[in-house]
Amino acid sequence: MHIPDGYLSPQTCAVGYVIAVPAWAVAVRRVQRVVRNRHVPTLAVLAAVSFLVMMFNIPIPDGTTAHAIGATIIAILLGPWAAVLAVSVALGFQALLFGDGGVLAFGFNCANMAVLAPFAGYGVYKLIAGRSELTAPRRALAAAAGGYAGINAAAFAAAIEFGVQPDLFHNSAGAPLYAPYHLDQTIPAMMLAHLTIAGIAEGILTGGVVAYLQRANVPLLRVNHAGVAAPGEKPGEKPAGPRRVRPLYVALGAVAVMAVLTPLGLLAPGGAFGEDAPEDLDLHKYGLSAVPSGLNKYNGFWHHALFNGYDFTSDAHPTIGYIVSAVVGIAIVGAAIFLITMAVRWIAARRGASRRHETVEQS
Amino acid sequence: MSEQAAVSERVQVPQWLLQPELGMCPCGCVGKRKKGSYLRKTLNGGAGLLRQVMFSDDTARQDGLLQRIDPRVKFLSVIVLLVAAGLARNIATLVAVYAVTLALAAASRLPVGFFVKRVWLFVPIFTGIMVLPATLSVVTHGDVVLTLWHWHGRAEGFTSQGLTSAGLIVSRVAVSISLVVLLTLTTPWVRLLAALRSVGVPRIFILIIGMAYRYIFLLLNTVTDMYQARTSRTIGAAKHDGGARAFLGASGGALFGKANQLSEEVHQAMTARGYRGDAKTLQSFRLRGLDIAAALCCAALAAAILIGDHVLGS
Amino acid sequence: MEAEAAPQTLATDVTFECRDVSYSYLDRYPALDGVSLTVRPGERVALLGANGCGKSTLLKLLDGLVFPSSGAFTAFGHPVTEDTLEDEQFSQAFRSRVGFVFQNSDAQVFSPNVREEIAFGPLQLGLAPDEASARVDEVIAMLDIAALADRAPFQLSGGQKKRVAIASVLATNPEVLLFDEPTAALDPRSQYWLTDLIEQLGAAGKTIVHATHDLDVLPRIADRCVVFSEEHRIVAEGAPEEILADRELLLSVNLIHPGSRLP
Repeated sequence: MHIPDGYLSPQTCAVGYVIAVPAWAVAVRRVQRVVRNRHVPTLAVLAAVSFLVMMFNIPIPDGTTAHAIGATIIAILLGPWAAVLAVSVALGFQALLFGDGGVLAFGFNCANMAVLAPFAGYGVYKLIAGRSELTAPRRALAAAAGGYAGINAAAFAAAIEFGVQPDLFHNSAGAPLYAPYHLDQTIPAMMLAHLTIAGIAEGILTGGVVAYLQRANVPLLRVNHAGVAAPGEKPGEKPAGPRRVRPLYVALGAVAVMAVLTPLGLLAPGGAFGEDAPEDLDLHKYGLSAVPSGLNKYNGFWHHALFNGYDFTSDAHPTIGYIVSAVVGIAIVGAAIFLITMAVRWIAARRGASRRHETVEQS
Repeated sequence: MSEQAAVSERVQVPQWLLQPELGMCPCGCVGKRKKGSYLRKTLNGGAGLLRQVMFSDDTARQDGLLQRIDPRVKFLSVIVLLVAAGLARNIATLVAVYAVTLALAAASRLPVGFFVKRVWLFVPIFTGIMVLPATLSVVTHGDVVLTLWHWHGRAEGFTSQGLTSAGLIVSRVAVSISLVVLLTLTTPWVRLLAALRSVGVPRIFILIIGMAYRYIFLLLNTVTDMYQARTSRTIGAAKHDGGARAFLGASGGALFGKANQLSEEVHQAMTARGYRGDAKTLQSFRLRGLDIAAALCCAALAAAILIGDHVLGS
Repeated sequence: MEAEAAPQTLATDVTFECRDVSYSYLDRYPALDGVSLTVRPGERVALLGANGCGKSTLLKLLDGLVFPSSGAFTAFGHPVTEDTLEDEQFSQAFRSRVGFVFQNSDAQVFSPNVREEIAFGPLQLGLAPDEASARVDEVIAMLDIAALADRAPFQLSGGQKKRVAIASVLATNPEVLLFDEPTAALDPRSQYWLTDLIEQLGAAGKTIVHATHDLDVLPRIADRCVVFSEEHRIVAEGAPEEILADRELLLSVNLIHPGSRLP
């Protein structure tokens, strides 16, 4: 997901900085308040951790790799603003020292992975965790879902940034000047890789770390959970009513985040070479269930799969085509998050009840 | 001596600890080998990371052209050239810029073979594979130059637009990476940090970046130690990636715990030396004639890229 | 230098005074329990005790990094609390007069390279960059680490890191030096070098408080030993020879093993 220089036009990159710079400014001020003057060493060490997390490439069956970001876990431990800075610094290293991710594209890389990912992830985490105890299994599952949602939100944003390039920037003959794929190709390609592999990696990391800390280091968890009761302390009042509808809220929240980003693509003045919408939809679904595979392979694969139905449409309806593909992408993510949340709620309800008994007895 | 005896009496050593385990088969035959997991590969990659950093340190110390230029000038020049290359619309322009970066690498006494390899390995090659489908008419519509098949009577294959686009993106990516690599290979990291500071990056970022850089390697060692401690206790063939995943969860958690502890200690060490939330740094930069000349050259090059590109047309 | 750092003259013949201080981590794990200790200028005090008895915590308390949960701590005649250290002038004076060499050099050496590391303290305490730079060069020469000046910390060995940590503390020219197990995990040569250095610093009039397990060199680097029990209390004080002769005492605080040989 590290966008190298050359994939996005300099104009697009400027937009990335327009998003990232204010986020950094706010983050610096917020973080100074939260961790006071301990923020420098804390953020430095977390940035180093995020760098290491991104270094752990997890192989995907087809030979490519995906990696987690660590944004959501940092957001859970020290708040999303701390994550903004820590992940940005880690990305900065990669861009400057190791050529991983571009310097001009740094703004958008940060907007995706250091701003969108922690906030989306943290939001989902907060919603699912609700007012459960600090050591409740529900929190670990909420963290996993948050990590999953965060990285997918970032991937989705990256897909949009790639996808608007060919329509916005092409030469007089129609040759794309930057990333050549359209939204209807980039979104499925990016999302499939992240929904299946990288998202799960981030989910396992985020949930795994929270679960570990629940067993081994509760004080660290408490830093960013001031109002949350831990076992042995008095649990807060149980929220009764709203729990029922929560999975829906969570899914809607994630969908909202992504939908907000969607209009970016409508800036495209040129015509997206349109598709027959229903055909497209079916293929998306078909591809989703059939192919667990990595980014570059996808890009290749996708076009072979698509090209059956590709030329049927001559009357291109660019905006509709775009909206349809975006809606499909969002719907898939939203549905996935909804299902996960339902599962989490179900498991948490079963486990949480028995666990609460145990902890009470122990203490 | 009686004291020694007292020692061995006090510690009750279980019998099994005193007997050697039949680990190695006495005939010395070798067991089955298994491919290492991705975890080990990544950790070995960590050692590579360190090597890479030390190598950049060495090249940055050499007495070449770019090494002599002020890091601030170099940093800003790289940004200007990246934008110029980003705006270029002709492959010829980008190839020319690439030739310039090669010349600069040679003038800065960088091993050119290494430089080329460092730039091309991974990202541009990956990009090339990734854009391959985009050269086909099914993705990039246009004039088919090489027909591969027919669909409903229409020729499908490589389009000139698709090929141009692929050439553009690959050459642009290679030029961009070359520029950044030139910067990192000719500038000591600490000087680069100080340069960032003086081009307007807030001090808090510089401090965080500097410290994060320092602790990446410490934490990497921690992870390596955890992994080795686990490996040394794993008897028989380690399970492949499943075991690695379990390790990742626990070691990730332990890593965050250690990181937190470390940050607390570091903060105390900083406080003990007078840190009050606003750090000051040593910096000494002076612009010399050479730097001004370099800045002018960069501006001229950027202008040449844009004008030349315009003349070539799109 | 001193007059500059400490605006008001702090004329007193007591460097540190702890009166009945207690401290516990997370309000749960006790580390100090009713400790009273007085350190006078120019004195060399060794803190002895088993692992986890509270030596390190006491040193952090003396350096104003943690604050007693009960009892009082004064330095140079002034109370040191979270509140008084908020005062910029007092904080600056206190920090420039007291230097702390941590046990974990990895935590202490946090800058991207050695030169910046040594310059950190002087710069924080308000020296101009030129002045700080000159001071860095002098300390580098004194500790013979010129070859390391431009290295990154991860390129240093344990002994080299310790040297850099000490250099970074000496660069602010503190009158009191706190060492937390300075010779731990060093090779014999580095241990010898460090013992020599501490001896020289003591001879130069520095007040030195160090926590140590190195009983062999105690008579060389301490005038007075303070022995902690595992219950986080002070159980004995005295000259090194006196303490080392009291085998029963050292056994009772679990500092030595019946098999240990004493110097």
